[in-house]
Amino acid sequence: MPLRFITNSERFLKIIFGLTLFVVLVMGGLAYRYVKELTKSIDEVQHNYEVHILLEKMVSALKDAESGKRGYIITKDSTFLEPLLTNSDTFQYSLAQLEELTKKNPEQQKNIEELRTKVEKNLAIFQKTLQLANNNNIDSPEFIEAFKEGRRTMNSVRFKIKQMAAHETNILGTSRAKSYKNLNNAPMVVYYVIILSLLILLLTYLHISRSLKILKEKNELLETFKKSTTQSEIISKHGNWIWHVEDNIYEYSDNLYRLLGEEPQSFEPNLENYLSFVHPDDIEKLTQHVEEMKENEDLPFIHYRVIQKNGIIKHFKAYAKLLVDSDGYKRLLGTTADITDEIENYRIIEKRNLELERSNKELSSFNYVASHDLQEPLRKIQTFLSRLEDKEKDNLSNNGQLYIERIKSSTSRMRSLIDDLLQFSRTNKSEEALADSNINILLETAKHDLAEIIADKRARISSDSIPSMRVIPFQIKQLFLNLLSNSLKYSREKTAPIITISYSRTNASALPNVKYSKYYAYHTITIQDNGIGFDQEYAEKIFVLFNRLHNKTEYSGTGIGLSICKKIVENHNGYITAYGNPDIGATFTVYLPIT
Amino acid sequence: MQEDYTYVVLADDDEDDRLFFVEAFEELKIKTKVDVYKDGIELMDALNQEDSMLPNILFLDLNMPKKSGLECLIDIKANNRFKDMAIAIYSTSASEEDIENTFVQGANIYIKKPSAFNDLKKILSDVVTVNWQYHTNGLDKENFLLRL
Repeated sequence: MPLRFITNSERFLKIIFGLTLFVVLVMGGLAYRYVKELTKSIDEVQHNYEVHILLEKMVSALKDAESGKRGYIITKDSTFLEPLLTNSDTFQYSLAQLEELTKKNPEQQKNIEELRTKVEKNLAIFQKTLQLANNNNIDSPEFIEAFKEGRRTMNSVRFKIKQMAAHETNILGTSRAKSYKNLNNAPMVVYYVIILSLLILLLTYLHISRSLKILKEKNELLETFKKSTTQSEIISKHGNWIWHVEDNIYEYSDNLYRLLGEEPQSFEPNLENYLSFVHPDDIEKLTQHVEEMKENEDLPFIHYRVIQKNGIIKHFKAYAKLLVDSDGYKRLLGTTADITDEIENYRIIEKRNLELERSNKELSSFNYVASHDLQEPLRKIQTFLSRLEDKEKDNLSNNGQLYIERIKSSTSRMRSLIDDLLQFSRTNKSEEALADSNINILLETAKHDLAEIIADKRARISSDSIPSMRVIPFQIKQLFLNLLSNSLKYSREKTAPIITISYSRTNASALPNVKYSKYYAYHTITIQDNGIGFDQEYAEKIFVLFNRLHNKTEYSGTGIGLSICKKIVENHNGYITAYGNPDIGATFTVYLPIT
Repeated sequence: MQEDYTYVVLADDDEDDRLFFVEAFEELKIKTKVDVYKDGIELMDALNQEDSMLPNILFLDLNMPKKSGLECLIDIKANNRFKDMAIAIYSTSASEEDIENTFVQGANIYIKKPSAFNDLKKILSDVVTVNWQYHTNGLDKENFLLRL
């Protein structure tokens, strides 16, 4: 969501900006239009006013002329005629002015033409009247007629002027009504637009501040991430690098420089500088890999060596993957790791493996020596002893016969030691030898091998039915053989041994002294006897090679039998435990994993 | 081949073992003729002579210089002339590997050299009186190794 949010907010900002720009333009346009309209309206009023004044001026000039004329007719005083003389010019001037003012209005032009004719006619009648008055013909019907005519034309001029004024007022009225409507709406529209702009501004502010907050959080996160990356680079001995595909520019992380034994950013990150650290034997290989990398825009795992300036050789492993961002910009993100330790460890392990192999070989040749060469002379001694006993017994003194007995007991002990040791060293793990085996039969075979001693001691052995398991058969037989002979050997004097073999299943969690197990459950075979037992404090010790709890003159053990048992059980990924109770008996428990 | 005695041959590099072997047969009340050879080459030379008398039972030690018992066994089994000869392996060791190999190569019985003279006598007496025809029919890995 965060990344998407940022892209969304970028789009959102673009939209907001466009919207604001549009609103401001609309506002400007509206304001311009209103101001223009207002100016036009003022002009119209001015124009109207001027026309009115001119018209008024003409009416008053006519009135002045009329009253001057009447005064002159009554008094014959020529001073009354003065306005009349000046007014003729005034008329012409005013008419010209009017013509100029209303040149866009054809109707008024027509009216002016009519007015001019009427005024000229009026002036002509005026002259005629004055002439008649000068000749003292004021009582003549001609004068009276002219006088009346003067009044009529005068009224007609007045009417025309009134008409023109009315027309002008009319025009003003219509255009006013029109602009009034527009101008009345203007403040409201401007107000709304401003409110809208403010709202948009507020919204943008909120959005930007939210985005900034998120950006800040992301930045902090990035900063933390960067720090932890730097840290992990140092801990895990790796460095990061970026190859900008289009620009063919490299970026190396600080730790990559450290891996090369250099100060961070101490040289320009480019291929040439980097190759100067690469081991001469690996330069060709690495160059080829880099060429392939540039071609395929990919770098699979590669290995090479570098030589630091102090001469230390380091083993590096590198890997890179292409990253294409939302703008389609391509970068190859690479990681280079110092695997010198790994390789050294591997070499140590390899060396140890070789040593192990060698000692294993030595061990098997020892096996051969023990099985063949050591047994050979021993067998000879025993055979010659038996010959001596058979043929020369009568010629020996009692002491001599005793010595022969001692030699015989020592050689047979040596024989069992060699046999047991061989058995122990042959008890190896081998996967091929695993087979699904009937454990009951293996137990019977072991019992059969011990038939003689079982009969001698009148032992009673009882056993549960044990399910089949995947085991190394001869080893499990050996296990039973050793455990049973152990129980028989350490039986109490004058007590017939009773050995009970029971079977159950145990969950891994219930195993004693085992914290972690890769198996869920274990076959559990318990061998319990009523022999001399042992102190529980020796429970661990009895499985150790050559460890004996009893003097060998009391009990004839080699101290190897139980070690073999432990080895066999461990070969099968199992566990063996012992529980002893002095003079009551011992219990051995074998856990074998259920696979 | 004479019918009134059993002809027994032993190939063994060990002088003492050859001595015990001969002495044991001397003490046994079985009519036998015993020949001993001290290695595989000597044995094979003797057997390969055209007019040689073939033993009823051949005892082969495994670990011999020049030519081992196993090599002799392989040569003998490859030659049809020796098909009626019973072969007993007579060795100090009884390793699984040796037992397996000689069984596969067709030996009739595997004897681990005993450490008491009386045991030796009993073993040799048993082996010589066995009806080999019958024994070979029922032979498997379990009864291949002679147990006392």
